[in-house]
Amino acid sequence: MATAVLDRFALPPAGKIRPFHFPPFLRRRLPNGLEVLASRQDGVPLISVEMVVPAGAQHDPEGKAGLATLTASVIDEGTRRRNSLEIAAQIEQLGGYLTTGADWDEGYFATGLLSKHRRAGLELIAEVLNEPTFPEHEVERLRKQRLTEILRRRHDPAALAEEKLNEVIYQGTVFANPLIGTAESTQALGRSALVDFYERHYTRDGAALIAVGDLDPEELLREAEALFGEVKAPSRPAPEIRPTRLDGVSIHIIDRPGAPQTELRLGHAGVARPDPDYIPLILVNTLLGGKFTSRINMNLRERHAYTYGASTRFVARRGPGPFIVDAAVATESAGAATAEVLFELRKIREEPMEVQELEETRSYIIGVFPYTFQTIGEVAKRLETLAVHGLPDDYYDRYLEQLASLTREGLLEVARRHIHPDHIAVVAVGPADALTPQFEGMGEIRVWPRPA
Amino acid sequence: MMSSIATSGLDLSIQRHTLANGLRVVLHRDSTLPLVTVNLWYHVGSKNERPGRTGFAHLFEHMLFQGSQHVPIHDHFRLIQQVGGVVNGSTWYDRTNYYETLPAHHLELGLWLESDRMGFLLPAITQEKLDTQRDVVMNERRQRVDNQPYGRAGERLHELLYPDDHPYHWPVIGYMEDIAAATLEDVRTFFQTYYTPNNAVLTLAGDFDLDDALRKVETWFGEIPSGPPVPPVSAPLPPLGGEKREVIADDVRLPRIYLAFRAPAYGQRLWYAADLLSTVLSGGKSSRLYQDLVYDRQIAQEVGAYISPYEEVATFMVIATARPGVPVETLERAVLEHLDRAASEPVAAEELERSRNRMLTDYFSGLQKLDNRADLFSQLTTYFDDPGRVEEEAALYLELTPADLMDYAARYFAATERVVVPVVPKEEG
Repeated sequence: MATAVLDRFALPPAGKIRPFHFPPFLRRRLPNGLEVLASRQDGVPLISVEMVVPAGAQHDPEGKAGLATLTASVIDEGTRRRNSLEIAAQIEQLGGYLTTGADWDEGYFATGLLSKHRRAGLELIAEVLNEPTFPEHEVERLRKQRLTEILRRRHDPAALAEEKLNEVIYQGTVFANPLIGTAESTQALGRSALVDFYERHYTRDGAALIAVGDLDPEELLREAEALFGEVKAPSRPAPEIRPTRLDGVSIHIIDRPGAPQTELRLGHAGVARPDPDYIPLILVNTLLGGKFTSRINMNLRERHAYTYGASTRFVARRGPGPFIVDAAVATESAGAATAEVLFELRKIREEPMEVQELEETRSYIIGVFPYTFQTIGEVAKRLETLAVHGLPDDYYDRYLEQLASLTREGLLEVARRHIHPDHIAVVAVGPADALTPQFEGMGEIRVWPRPA
Repeated sequence: MMSSIATSGLDLSIQRHTLANGLRVVLHRDSTLPLVTVNLWYHVGSKNERPGRTGFAHLFEHMLFQGSQHVPIHDHFRLIQQVGGVVNGSTWYDRTNYYETLPAHHLELGLWLESDRMGFLLPAITQEKLDTQRDVVMNERRQRVDNQPYGRAGERLHELLYPDDHPYHWPVIGYMEDIAAATLEDVRTFFQTYYTPNNAVLTLAGDFDLDDALRKVETWFGEIPSGPPVPPVSAPLPPLGGEKREVIADDVRLPRIYLAFRAPAYGQRLWYAADLLSTVLSGGKSSRLYQDLVYDRQIAQEVGAYISPYEEVATFMVIATARPGVPVETLERAVLEHLDRAASEPVAAEELERSRNRMLTDYFSGLQKLDNRADLFSQLTTYFDDPGRVEEEAALYLELTPADLMDYAARYFAATERVVVPVVPKEEG
C-alpha cells in the first residue's frame, strides 16, 4: 500500500523536449524571375499549390479602388480553352479547389488537390495565369456581385468600423480604400481596366510558385520551368505608402440608432513587414493584446466584463499596415473601455514589461511555433512569406533566435517607436446619442451617419 | 474515382480503455510533430437544460476556465499559453468540449489541469467569478446574435422547427434573461450531475508513449469518483403537420431566406445521405443551387445548404441571400424547385462522384490537424461508443447511391414539414 500521494498543488514536471525544425525545402529562382519553393510532406495524399504574383491592391490606380481584387476574381472565369464552369468542373474532377484573389501585396492562386493529379493541377493554374480572357459577361456578373457586397457591408457594424478606421488613418494613400473598392470606384471598373491591370502586373518576375505535400521537389521544379518559365516583362516596384501621423486623438462615431452593442476600434498606421522592428513587435503585441492572457483582454474582459474579447494586431504588409485594437463592447461601457485601452497603450510604452510576463510571452510564441505546421497549407503559407518579403532560407530559425534574445529595454524602445496612444483614431459604431457623452473630453468627436 | 479516396493515407489507429470510474480514454499516437492534444468531451449540452434556464451549459463552460481547487484563477490559460499551448472549449446542443494542444513534453500539464477541474472545481467557484462571466456571456450573445446582421434568424428557425419542450427548441447561447438568472446553486447542481468521469471521454493524440500516457491518465483521473447515471433527455417529436413561417424585419439591406427541414439523427444512413445532398446542392461552383441561383439567374448573392451532426434529430438548412431588387419569394420558389427535384429524380452518377470527392477531400484534409482528429475520436466515442468509426464513416459516404439521396429528400422535404423564415429589411424610422 505504498502508493505515493499525488500532490495536486505542484505543477507536474515536463518530459524530455523534442526539438522542432522548419521542414526542409527547395528554393530556386528561374531565369525569368519566378521563384519556386517546394517541400515534401508525407501524411495525406494531397498537395497544396500556390502562386503569388506582384499584383496586389497597393497597385490600384487613383479612383480605381478594387481593381486588383476584381481582376483576381475574374481571372479564373474563362481561358482560351475553357469557360468559367468548365474550369470549376475541371478542378473538382481533380478532387480539389482553386481560389483566386488579391490582398494588398499580391494576387494569388491557391489550390489543394489529390497529389496524383499534381500535373493536371499545375497545368490548370498555368492555363488560368497565362491565357485568361476576362469575358465581358463574367466581369459584369462579378462587378454586380461586388456592388451587392458593398451594400451589405453598410449594415455590418464590424465592417463599417474597420472601413472608417482605414479611411481616417490612411487618408490620402491607397490603404484608405477598402480592398474590394467603393461603390463609386466599382461602378467605373470595366473589362479594359482589368485587362490592362493584368498585362502590367501579372508578371513572372517577382512571382513565386509554392508547392507542399506528397511530391518530389526536383520534379516539381522541372514542371514549373516547363509551364511557367516564359520570360515576360519585369515586375513594377511597389509604390511607397507614407501615411501622415494623426493629429491627436479623434473619435468617430457611426450612428446606428438602437444597436444592441458597440463595435469599437482604435488604430493608427503601423510598421511595414520588412522593418527590423517587426519581430520584436510580435512579442510586444502578443503581450499587449495577442493572446487570451494579454493585458488588454484580461483588463476589458476578465476584470471589467465590458466585452466577450478584446485583441490587438499589427497587420503585416509590404507597406505600413495598421495597428488595430478590436472589441465589441456593451454600449454603456464604450467610453470606459476606450479609456482602459488608452491606459494600456500608454503603460506599455512608459514602463518596461514585467520580467515574468516577458518570459511567459516569449515562451508562448516560441513554444507555439510547431503547432502552426500541421497542414500542408500552413507550411505553404510560411514558404509564401519567405518569397513575398524576400526573406532568407534560414529566416525561421533566426526568428526563434531573435525572439530568445529580446530584452525588456529593447522592447520598451520598440513599443515607444510604434504605439502612439496620443496620435490615434477611435471608431465606435453604435447608437450616437448614448455614445457621444461618453467620449467628451477624450478628443475631437465626429458623428457620421451610416452610409445610405 | 471511388477507390482514389478510399484510403486517406492517414494512420488513424487508436487504443481505447475505460478507467474504473467510467472515464473512457482514447489514445492515438502520431509523432510527426512534437505535439500532443488533450481533448475532453462531456456528454452535456444545451439539450440538458430546461426552458427558463437556457444558456446554462455554455455559461458553465466559461466557469471551467476560472480555476479549480489547486489551480488559481486564470492559471488555466496562463500555464498552457506560457509553454506554447493552444487552448479553448465550446458548447453545443449535445456536448461540451475542452481541448489544449501542447508541446509533447507538457502532456502532463494538460492532464493535471483537466483532472483538477473535473474532480475539484467547486471549491474555487465564487459569486464574483459567476457575475463576471455572466456579463462576458451577455456580451458574447450581443456580439454573435443580437448585433449581427440576420443574427436572430437561425435561432427563430429552431424555435419553429422544434416544439417548446423539445431540447433543440432554444439556442445554445441561451436567452438574455435566463443567462442573467443563473445562480451558484445552478453551478453546483450542474457540475455534480454532468461533470462526472462516467459522462466524459478523454482523447490524447500526438507524440507520446502509449503505456506511459495511459499510466499518467490513470494517475490524474483515476481517483475522481464516478457519479450517478446522467438523467436521460426526453425528446419526443411529433411531425410539424403544417408549414411554419415567420417574417423577421432586421437591420439589413438584402433580404435573405432561411428554410429548414428535419433530418435523421447523426449516425443514421440517411443523415449521411442528407450531408452528401447538401454538397450536391451547394458545394462549390458546380453545385446545383450555386450554378442556377448565383451564376445563371443571378438572383442570389450566395446560397448554402447545411446539416449538422446532432444526436437526437438533425436540422437541414438552406440559406440564400437575395440580390438587390429580387423579391424574397422568387428566391424561395427557386430553392424549393431544387429541393423538389432532389426528391423526384436521382442525382446523376457523375454529379454524385464529384460531390463525394469534394466531401472526402475536405473530411481528410481537416484531419491533418491533430486537434481535429482528437475531437472526432471524442465525438465518435461520445455518440457511438466507437472511436474506430472514422473509417466506417468514410466507407458510408462511399456506399451512398443516388437512390439514398432521393430517399432522404422525398421523405423529409414535404411542404407540411418545413419552416420558412424570410428576413427582410426593416423600414427605416
